[in-house]
Amino acid sequence: MSHFFAMGGYARYLWPSYGVTLLAVVANIIWARGLLRRAKTEARRRLDMQGESP
Amino acid sequence: MTWTWFHRLGSPPYIYRLAGRLTPWFGWIAAVLLLGALFDGLVLAPPDYQQGDGFRIIYVHVPTAWLSLMIYTWMAVAAAVGLIWRIKVAHAAAAACAPIGASFTAVALVTGMLFGKPMWGAYWVWDPRLTSELLLLFLYLGYMGLRASFDDLQRADRASAVLAIVGIVNVPIVHFSVIWWNSLHQGSSLSLTGKDTIATPMLIPLLLSMLGFTLYFLAVVLVRLRGEVLRRERAASWIGEVVAP
Repeated sequence: MSHFFAMGGYARYLWPSYGVTLLAVVANIIWARGLLRRAKTEARRRLDMQGESP
Repeated sequence: MTWTWFHRLGSPPYIYRLAGRLTPWFGWIAAVLLLGALFDGLVLAPPDYQQGDGFRIIYVHVPTAWLSLMIYTWMAVAAAVGLIWRIKVAHAAAAACAPIGASFTAVALVTGMLFGKPMWGAYWVWDPRLTSELLLLFLYLGYMGLRASFDDLQRADRASAVLAIVGIVNVPIVHFSVIWWNSLHQGSSLSLTGKDTIATPMLIPLLLSMLGFTLYFLAVVLVRLRGEVLRRERAASWIGEVVAP
């Protein structure tokens, strides 16, 4: 197992490159979902305001 | 030949619902492909005869670099469609592409630096490939900055579309830089026209990873697209149905 993580001596370059990729993959999912959630909240708020004062 | 499909693609409620239905498909298939690529690339593929296990960085470096160019191309095409035919959904799609493209351009640069240090002895050299990829990052950031500088969405759409279209000239420069100039960066391992210069057991995880990242991009961009469409269509009656709690 430690042989696997050592990656033939390239561990200090290989794992950070996989790490930064994983970070971007996860961050983009969270970021996109947050954007959609905020857009929905905003749209709902606008509709409510229109409903109160037609 | 009927053009109804084209008109439907310009319809915000149609796009919103279609994007919502497609996202889980793209997302889950991408997850399976990427997990497969991870196992195949890190465990099954044999070490390279020159680069040892270090070559395995290509399984994250090449797909993210591919995304950086593919996303920019999509962004410029969507921006051009929006500008020429005045289709709001197209502008929304272009805007949805930019942050994803920018982040994966940054990842391609960082993984490239981590690849360059053990193979070339330097994190960074002012090489044509590296320099043009850095310019690509600045184009994305410029596009996003320009959009953010307008309060009016329509003006932001039009001004940023022009920048996106002008910047497309950099895409072939990045791609062909290793051929046109004497670059330290190695040439492409994949070829649509000739023979791939990579052994099959190393190639399969690379193709899995590239396909996985492409589908992942589609899933994420469709989520962003729905958000962008909602921002542009706040007054439309169909919004009430889709945002009902």
